[in-house]
Amino acid sequence: MNASAVALSILLFPAAGALLLAGRGWRMPRVVTQIVGPGVVWLSFAATLWLFFNQVNGDFAYWTWIKSGSFELPFNLLVDNLSIFMCMVITGVGGLIVTYSVGYMAHEDGPSYARFFTYMDVFIFSMLLLVLAGNFVFLIIGWALVGLSSYFLIGFWYQRRSAVLAARKAFVMNVIGDVGMILGTFVLFVTYHAVTYAGVFSHLTSLASVGDSAPLELAAFLLLVGAVAKSAQIPLHTWLPDAMEGPTPVSALIHAATMVTAGVYLVARMHPIYDITTYAHDAVAIIGAVTALFAATIAIVQTDIKRVLAYSTMSQIGYMFLAVGIGAYAAGLFHLLAHGFFKALLFMAAGNVIHAMHDEQDMRKYGGLWNQMRPTSVTFLIGCLSLVGVIPFVGFFSKEQILGAAFSRPGSLGLTVWAIGFATALITGFYTGRMWWLSFWGKPSPQRPVEHPHEAPMVMMIPVAILAVLATVGGVIQTSVLGFGPSAVSSYLDKVVTAAWWEAGRFPGGYTREFLVAIALLTMVLAAALFAGALRMRPWSAVVPWAQRLLERKYYFDEIYNAAFVRTMDAVASIGYRDVEKVVIDGAVVGTGEAAEATAGSLRLTQSGYFRNYVLVFIAGALIAAALLLVRTS
Amino acid sequence: MAGSLDIGGSQFDVSWFLLLAAALFTLGAVGVLVRRNPLIILISIELMLNAVNLTLVAFSRQLENLEGQLFALMTMTVAAAEAVVGLAILVDIFRVRDLEDIDDLSELKG
Repeated sequence: MNASAVALSILLFPAAGALLLAGRGWRMPRVVTQIVGPGVVWLSFAATLWLFFNQVNGDFAYWTWIKSGSFELPFNLLVDNLSIFMCMVITGVGGLIVTYSVGYMAHEDGPSYARFFTYMDVFIFSMLLLVLAGNFVFLIIGWALVGLSSYFLIGFWYQRRSAVLAARKAFVMNVIGDVGMILGTFVLFVTYHAVTYAGVFSHLTSLASVGDSAPLELAAFLLLVGAVAKSAQIPLHTWLPDAMEGPTPVSALIHAATMVTAGVYLVARMHPIYDITTYAHDAVAIIGAVTALFAATIAIVQTDIKRVLAYSTMSQIGYMFLAVGIGAYAAGLFHLLAHGFFKALLFMAAGNVIHAMHDEQDMRKYGGLWNQMRPTSVTFLIGCLSLVGVIPFVGFFSKEQILGAAFSRPGSLGLTVWAIGFATALITGFYTGRMWWLSFWGKPSPQRPVEHPHEAPMVMMIPVAILAVLATVGGVIQTSVLGFGPSAVSSYLDKVVTAAWWEAGRFPGGYTREFLVAIALLTMVLAAALFAGALRMRPWSAVVPWAQRLLERKYYFDEIYNAAFVRTMDAVASIGYRDVEKVVIDGAVVGTGEAAEATAGSLRLTQSGYFRNYVLVFIAGALIAAALLLVRTS
Repeated sequence: MAGSLDIGGSQFDVSWFLLLAAALFTLGAVGVLVRRNPLIILISIELMLNAVNLTLVAFSRQLENLEGQLFALMTMTVAAAEAVVGLAILVDIFRVRDLEDIDDLSELKG
């Protein structure tokens, strides 16, 4: 088979599925939607596996999109280890989640059911375009399209006002990022006159070849704006918790496993830029670390199970930003994979619970599910332990790599972000424990909507179970962090994301492997202790009421944004309405009309309709003309 | 160029003809302006046309150029045509309504 055709087919399968479902889906029997919706994602997964096993590497140009003078924009797909890795996460985890949706969305009527899978396939297509694009223009197209499909899916239940508002908020925030991306691309284009990755990066092969790094820093910061908005990092994070208004599989796919990790992919893909820049690269790590800690603290007080998971997602993506920000790209991407496993698992297991509880999402109204929904409880516990970073689960291996890289990075930045990451790991243990004990342990809450909940059907349970297995044993592919075994992920990715000239002593560290592992184990023990301790530490909020309030209000970010932007814009708009629109514009428009009417009113008097008037005017005119002639000739 | 015309042996200064034409024209114009009967207005218009014809013929004789007289014949033809059209319109209006005052036809006022 032709490698470039296979690479293109990865994109075409979900696109074809989306077109079919959009055009004919609601007229065809439900089973067509159930097969086509997830089926095309699995076909893409198969194509990705083919590329993976054939070790395809290449920059395939299909046709020229724009040609103008010396400027040429090809439609090219970049297939390398990084994009294949991302495609595997998207189509693999995505396939499981879309399959799960077959059961989760079963209550929807025919047209809505087809609409849901149309959106899901559009999303998968856009995300694949984002990671496969070989130039900045198609990267931006994919980038904007995932924002659009996220908007569709958050607002899927458009009859609910809150869902529509959340969708709009997410879209606006994402567009801020899109603008950053576009400006960043423009800066790169002005500087290097290229829009393909290969064209831009060929100028960045070494520190010496760059010269003035100011435009590069600017471009890196602008691209970072895009990454921050898409990945819900501070300060553009407020859309993600609200995005939980969407159906739970959407939260699992878009707002946990794939779309929100696009920022991490972006920084990794742009690593030749970030390797050279100093400030922008450090900013990535700082933003990541701050977000990790900040989101984790908010997660402590949330009562909505999906919102806990949303803040946890922000926090874990903060870890990934931290990792790519200190140059440990492979570690960050491995955490992306691990997080895709365990957070999709947590969301889908939580979806089982929400499904059984008739859409009740308040954890305080659960309780006692351990005995009644045993399979879901077990898988949820696996997800929790993986999130906390307990040893056989995949979360331990990925977190250890990130924190180890941060700890051994020379300079104060490494230690600072390590300390924040360490604190975050402990808080993660606490809020995860709180979520777990509150939802599944103890006696059933008296307010629980369902006395005897039903376990989810097989079509939902099997994907959850597969992810539970992956979250449990996924770590074996990267056991080298313990000093033995393979390092499959990092050695696979390091071929792409580590520049040859950069390898020379980035992390001399000076720490032995055993020392780093010991620190990781200490972190794990403390986090696990907090996880267990959360059972008894429940009335903790009474201790510091103001802190509780601060966290419950999410550090007042929404309020600040409302005051700073929404209200300001409202004020500007109302001033514009009252003083500009009403006075100046309406004055001009209405004034023109009134002036014309007044003029016409006086002119119409001349149209008396009386024959003799016209004759009189005519004769008078003739006389005047004659008089003028006489004056002229005499 | 002679200042007088020979009409049947008598010499008339050309200005007499022009004065007569001016008087006829004024009569016609005033008639159009002040009379309200449509028929009288049409007659007044004919009067103005004939006043102009008189000047044309007078100048033609004075300048010894036949073009003026040709032009007068032309004017008569046009006047006849105009009278036909004008009367036809009037007859048509009479069919629809009883018209005695031209001011009744003022529907086209602004």
